[in-house]
Amino acid sequence: MALNLIRKLMVSSLFCFGAATASAETFVFTAIPDEDETKLVERFRGVADYLSNELNVDVRYIPVKSYAAAVSAFRNNQVQLAWFGGLSGVQARRLVPGSEAIAQGVEDQAFETYFIANTNTGIEPADELSSLEEGLQGKTFTFGSKGSTSGRLMPEFYIRETFGEQPDEFFSRVGFSGNHTRTLRLVEAGTYEVGALNFQVWEKELADGNIDTDAVQVIWRTPAYPDYQWTIRGDVNERFGEGFKQRVTEALLNLDDQALLESFPRSGFIPASNDDYEPISKTAEEIGILD
Amino acid sequence: MFQSPTVRTSFIFLAIALVGLLFADIAITASNPWRDLGNFFFGVVTPNFFSNEGLMTALLRTVSFAFVGVALGSISGFLLALVYRWLPVRILCAFVRAIHELFWALIFLQFFGFHPLTGVLAIAIPYAGIFAKVYSEILEEADPEPGRLLPPRTGVISAFLYTKIPDCWVQLRTYTAYRLECGLRSSAILGFVGLPTLGFYLESAFSQGHYSDAGAMLILFYVLIATMPLWVKPKLLPAYILGAPFFLGEGLPIVWSNVGRFFTQDIVPSPLRGEEGWAGMGAWLGDMFINQAMPGIWNTVILTQVALVATGIIALLAFPLISTHFGGPVRRTSGHVFLVIMRSTPEYILAYILLQLWGPSMLPAVVALALHNGGIIGHLIGRQSSTIRLRPDAPNGLNRYTYELVPRVYRSFLAFLFYRWEIIMRETAILGILGIYTLGFYVDSAIQNIQFDRAMVLILITASLNIGVDVLGRFIRRKLALQTMPTC
Amino acid sequence: MAGFDLSGLTASFGGERVIGPLSLKVKAGEQVALVGKSGAGKSTLMRLIHQHVNRNSSLVPQELGLVNALPVFHNVFMGQLDQHGNWYNTVTLMRPFSRDKDKVRELLKALGMAEKLWIPTASLSGGQRQRVAIARALYRSAPLLLADEPISALDGPMAHQVMQLLKDRFSASVFALHDVDMALAYCSRIVGIQDGQIALDEPAERLVASDIMSLY
Repeated sequence: MALNLIRKLMVSSLFCFGAATASAETFVFTAIPDEDETKLVERFRGVADYLSNELNVDVRYIPVKSYAAAVSAFRNNQVQLAWFGGLSGVQARRLVPGSEAIAQGVEDQAFETYFIANTNTGIEPADELSSLEEGLQGKTFTFGSKGSTSGRLMPEFYIRETFGEQPDEFFSRVGFSGNHTRTLRLVEAGTYEVGALNFQVWEKELADGNIDTDAVQVIWRTPAYPDYQWTIRGDVNERFGEGFKQRVTEALLNLDDQALLESFPRSGFIPASNDDYEPISKTAEEIGILD
Repeated sequence: MFQSPTVRTSFIFLAIALVGLLFADIAITASNPWRDLGNFFFGVVTPNFFSNEGLMTALLRTVSFAFVGVALGSISGFLLALVYRWLPVRILCAFVRAIHELFWALIFLQFFGFHPLTGVLAIAIPYAGIFAKVYSEILEEADPEPGRLLPPRTGVISAFLYTKIPDCWVQLRTYTAYRLECGLRSSAILGFVGLPTLGFYLESAFSQGHYSDAGAMLILFYVLIATMPLWVKPKLLPAYILGAPFFLGEGLPIVWSNVGRFFTQDIVPSPLRGEEGWAGMGAWLGDMFINQAMPGIWNTVILTQVALVATGIIALLAFPLISTHFGGPVRRTSGHVFLVIMRSTPEYILAYILLQLWGPSMLPAVVALALHNGGIIGHLIGRQSSTIRLRPDAPNGLNRYTYELVPRVYRSFLAFLFYRWEIIMRETAILGILGIYTLGFYVDSAIQNIQFDRAMVLILITASLNIGVDVLGRFIRRKLALQTMPTC
Repeated sequence: MAGFDLSGLTASFGGERVIGPLSLKVKAGEQVALVGKSGAGKSTLMRLIHQHVNRNSSLVPQELGLVNALPVFHNVFMGQLDQHGNWYNTVTLMRPFSRDKDKVRELLKALGMAEKLWIPTASLSGGQRQRVAIARALYRSAPLLLADEPISALDGPMAHQVMQLLKDRFSASVFALHDVDMALAYCSRIVGIQDGQIALDEPAERLVASDIMSLY
């Protein structure tokens, strides 16, 4: 078996130059690493297969280690399509003139961030963030990734707006867990007392029975904002043929494989436009993430 | 005893570290760190080698990147060593080696993207700087006499090949082989930023709590390094070096226009790109200095000083584990295994593991740096202590340790420690990527915000800090007349 | 040009004059022995001459100057590095050409160590190392030989053999020797050095051992 593996590696590596030229015709996409990698790889390999069938071209999914890496790969034209968050999408479209948001999840029109707390803190859920000031002050707090919309941008915005202080002034310790699943695990374990995460990740983990509700609970929900979307480069038609962008858009909007949608989790995809994300852009400018 | 300058220096550094400790953020924030640590060790003793189809490929990539990167670095370093006398070359080398491999990788990722070149250059460039320095030191120590005896019209190249190379060959080879081991560690951690080496899977496995998978990867990595003498044979080297480029994987094609854009736009400070021009530079730099560079430098320096002293303590405690003057063969063998594991585990991975288990603070970083570097120094002085011949009636136990051995190895211990000072600082800065507020944290944040101009300035600041500590370390070593061979 | 005519030779060490100023003229066909007690300045004078003739001489220094990691062949071959281009020398380093091998083997045979051709010089005895340095000087075949105690580590018969060989092969030579009998037997002229100055300069046939002993 090992021999076989080595032989396969040899062959694939020896042809790497050939493969490099062939991959110029491969449609490559990526996604921000907002959840556990195993789940992402499984989900987006499914998407790659689906798109490959619909578009009749080779489609390849590239996993990346950070939000910025996803944006850079898109900007550098090493990927032509990406599943971005609100903020990363805005960053990417600013950097690549002509690129467009073409589809978003039904739930992404009104996305939310959940503030969660370890039950040992004794913080009780509230409707207004301001009423939690006493309970939250001086606690340890974790965001998700530095480039995340629901895990960083929106929670930071509301913390600043409500308490009038930077997060690292208001809390005793501020960390960046890396992704939403990890934020959930860290607060559940008590490594951080409070955290903020993507509400869809919370709901899905809750439905799957993966959350110890005795250890962690939701204490506040943000107002709705637009989030995730598929963004495509403006020059794909030149590379993959006339009307290619339209075909990708339609393929995404027509995606009705329930298992695949479930893995996002989204009930379906609907059309989106760059303008839908203007609020995100404004918020990011306000807290200095975007110039 | 306080008359001795080495002892006095030691206590000054100890005092600085103790003061630093007052300001350092040392805490275990995880609510149940011992349970997690237990889970981790359980994972290591129940490794799962078959979890991931990519594991073998990742190992192969790790080795390939190390070979290609170290080979390129050693060739360019050798050429640079020939002109090392030239001041601009020395400055260039000091500069490129002051920037950590991971920073280089983050830079190249921005324009080469996920192409093998990113990983290869990330290793080759800093290594070239290090090779240039060490090679030139080795060549300088060659016996000059044979060169003086050559016929006057002998070509420079012939003279060099006959009189310098053979004399230095063993040292050059030993050091290069040693660097290859360092290269394997560097290559492995490049995975943490997305290159297809071991770190890529290790990070995934850890972050998802798959400790048995992570344990399997660590064990494979240790085996890979421990068996190096068996598979890195001089005769096989040409085959490895010629073959390795074919096993780097294909990655994604390079788009060359990105390279130009990176240098002409991305890293140009944003006021110069916009309408403000030079007038805006002051405010831009000032803001970055106050909000990012200053806190970053402060934390980096504190963490470095605390970790340096902790490294020293670990090294002094650990060297008897392998010294022939203590214990029997069983104890020594287990001591060797322990130290091999400590020094084979890159501090970045150790820090990552401990951060996952103990929660964020400087503590995991200090422990990781101290264990890794203490393991290396402990190994070196332990080996040295075994060459000391004690008189037959020498005392035993603690007295033997304090009266006979420590005084004899203390100078070389300090030499190694000050040699590693700069290395510890370089690592400290990089650990910021994991979320400790050292300079690396601010570099990573700038990159996450797609502000490469800021990232570059912060990387330059980090490099200058490293160069400063390097110079200071050399000054102290010269002042105390301490000599040492390079370590990595 | 085998001989030399040097004047105003001086050398200082640590601010203190150790040689000269002195003049020395050696004609083609002369074998000059420098004698004197150790520390008199013989080795320094040797080096001075070597520099002043622009290194155009075969030098056997006291410390031999061998590249220990290289085998005997290459150490000897180094005497003619200037005769070939870089590529030739580089190839030779890895795989010597047979005509060079034959020449070097021939030389070594005359010195009684042909079988050591491929042995690294680091693993040779003191006498063997000395003969390698001599072989290098012979292979260099410059017209002038400067040899600083070339037979100090050789036993009786071998010492005579080597001195005879050197006398035959070079048209002019300067030896630094502490063995007065050897100097008288193989050299045509004796130059005694005392405190950095020439204290004696006579043809060998006019001297006996006791005349020289006064220098010691």
